[in-house]
Amino acid sequence: MLQQVKNKNLNDSIGEEKLELLLEEASLNGSRRRERYPDSRFFGYFCSYWPEEIVLAAGYEPLRLFPAPIQAVPASLPAYCCSLARGCLSRAEKGDYADLAGTGFAHTCDTMQCLGGIWQAVAGHVDNTLQCVPPVLLEAPGARRYYLTELQNLLSKIGRLTGREPGKIDLIRALDLCRQIRRQAAELDKMRPYLPSPLVPALLRAGQVMPGTEFSAALERVIPVLKERMAEPGDRCRVLVTGAVLENDSLFKMVEDLGGRVVADDMCTGYRHYYDQLSQPDTPDPLEAIVQRAANMPPCPCRSRGHDYRINYLEQLALEKNAAGAVLVIRKYCEPHAWDAVPAAEQLRKSGIRTMVLELEGADVGGQERTRLQAFLESI
Amino acid sequence: MAEQRRYRPLASTRQLEKTMTRYYALTRYHRLWGRPLRRPLAWVTSGAPVELLLAFNIHPVYPENYGAICGTRKVSAKLCKVAEAAGYSQDLCSYARSHIGSIMRPDLAPMGGLPRPDLLVACNNICGTVLKWYEALARIFNVPLLVLDTPYLPGEVTGHAVGYVHEQLKEMAADLEKITGRRFDARGLEKRLLLSKETISLWREIREFCRAEPSPLNAPDLFIHMAPIVVLRGTKQSLKYYRQLRDEVKHRVDQGLGAVENEKIRLVWDNIAIWYRLFAFFKDFSQRGACFVTDTYSGGWAVELSPGDPLESLASTYTEIFLNRSLEFRARQMIDLIKDFNAHGFVMHSNRSCKPYSLVQEVIRRQVMRETGVPGLMVEADMADSRVFANEPVKNRVQAFIETLEA
Repeated sequence: MLQQVKNKNLNDSIGEEKLELLLEEASLNGSRRRERYPDSRFFGYFCSYWPEEIVLAAGYEPLRLFPAPIQAVPASLPAYCCSLARGCLSRAEKGDYADLAGTGFAHTCDTMQCLGGIWQAVAGHVDNTLQCVPPVLLEAPGARRYYLTELQNLLSKIGRLTGREPGKIDLIRALDLCRQIRRQAAELDKMRPYLPSPLVPALLRAGQVMPGTEFSAALERVIPVLKERMAEPGDRCRVLVTGAVLENDSLFKMVEDLGGRVVADDMCTGYRHYYDQLSQPDTPDPLEAIVQRAANMPPCPCRSRGHDYRINYLEQLALEKNAAGAVLVIRKYCEPHAWDAVPAAEQLRKSGIRTMVLELEGADVGGQERTRLQAFLESI
Repeated sequence: MAEQRRYRPLASTRQLEKTMTRYYALTRYHRLWGRPLRRPLAWVTSGAPVELLLAFNIHPVYPENYGAICGTRKVSAKLCKVAEAAGYSQDLCSYARSHIGSIMRPDLAPMGGLPRPDLLVACNNICGTVLKWYEALARIFNVPLLVLDTPYLPGEVTGHAVGYVHEQLKEMAADLEKITGRRFDARGLEKRLLLSKETISLWREIREFCRAEPSPLNAPDLFIHMAPIVVLRGTKQSLKYYRQLRDEVKHRVDQGLGAVENEKIRLVWDNIAIWYRLFAFFKDFSQRGACFVTDTYSGGWAVELSPGDPLESLASTYTEIFLNRSLEFRARQMIDLIKDFNAHGFVMHSNRSCKPYSLVQEVIRRQVMRETGVPGLMVEADMADSRVFANEPVKNRVQAFIETLEA
């Protein structure tokens, strides 16, 4: 009995330690990767449609690139483009990514399309900038076959960086790790309503800026600890948050501080990144499995599965999670999300879900946003 | 005393006006003839494979061209505000905002807005915006939306990308059969492609004449006279029109007549025109003997059709559109234009409304200057929304640029 208690205390203390580690990783956003993981070689990427499995199969660690907290303005981009592109490019120009094995651009919006070319030309990453163009229409005829070839080509390109093209076994191992992480992320997502709002987004972000194996191992310890901490949200206002990239948890913290609780997220850097409907894909081909997952992910505004699919998905998500309010986050100059905000707000409101559109320069929220969010939450 | 005119007008402009007036009159009164003749009206993006629609007897209408009209008539800002009040961000494309504004407030719009579409056809070879814009239109009108996904080409054109587009075109043809109740007519499509091919060939020839010194055309000529190849591509009307224009331009070259009097400086333009300042902006140049002898924008309609069977040809032609190509491709295109047209400099319109065109321009500008040795000027504006145009700073920059070239 005593031994059991001791073991539990030990497990709790390891879990706490790992939780601290993950929160620290989330706050660092990969900036101290070289000293913390000297044996790992990272490969940068921007978008959740970037096939991390291929990076892992090549022996690299995927690293989501985030802009620095203090923004510089690179001369190569005009002021009217989003702070994600500007902030990351200025970091690249400074040499912050010199240690990366490469950078991957999955074609998404017009800005990222342009950034891919600029990255090669300006940031000194001519040979190790890899581009992959997934189909925009995920269910169009020929889309899957096209994407499969695109992935095969990517595999060859990454093979040229490592000197050896990853084989099927490498890919299967990478897929297994990704699936394990995605299952854990799904578990975290279920716990979200019972945990403080900034916690789950931070943990999900940590998984995008540290080695996958370490992240998964840490989560294994953290999840039981979190389960013990779960508490009913009480009369907190249940909120859905959707948008593109958030490099910190400032918005989630503010929602929590103001008496809200984020019960669902559809952020590129949040649960959407990990979404995996198929616990076991119905194909033995690992590349085909990547294609299947991409086709089944809740689409970002740059992809389409029919013009109302995403809007219906958001409505359904809000209803399933019993959200009373929705915050649609638009990063300034992000056109795809700005477009979707109009019909999404309309449909959510029609379903009785109070909705606000919040335009942010970056991820930080300040006084003005506080006033708006407060009024919004009070109105629910 | 009246200011001396430094600019030579084209006689073909009258025919252009007639051609475009007829097209828009037919469009406007489509409700009277469309249904009896079983000719649905489609709103289409400028990079959509219109020949396929014409083969189904569909009447295509171009909201982007309409956006340019709103810009030229200086009503875009007013219409954009209408769309903004409905929640559309000011950072979105001004063609899209002014078009959506014209649907909400036809009383403010030229021609009372465009007539209601029976279907929508979007191709994302020019930008990602068109997909979102047309999704919004599909919600407003509740009509079928056909989208052609042409994957962005970071390098050379690939067989699997063209194959994917080809697959979609086959499905699009099947969808159009259902929508129109007509069978897919491969020979009809071939005829349309032939008309397009001949028209493109004339437009290329006209543009090539501008290698002459002095150049027979200036950028505003190109921007205005490109209208038929955009909205009447694949028709006899556009072919007829460009034959006339070709003859006039050839005559100018034979006679040594330049579009700008005493042409001293030859320039290349990059990006969509600043429609609400079309003449005022270029006047600052023509008054100093500077002529824009070619441009990348209207040149987008001068690309020859790819060979192959009709659907294959459409697949590769519409995938290889220059805005769907890499920064390197675009830089090379600019360098070639400067060399081929013996240009002394170039001006880039950093267009807030068109990110795929504009975001790479600064890198291209530096590369082109490095490789050609000619200076390039960047001017920030918007193609239709005049609220973001700062006249004085632009004027100062233009003056300084011309002085550099004159020195």
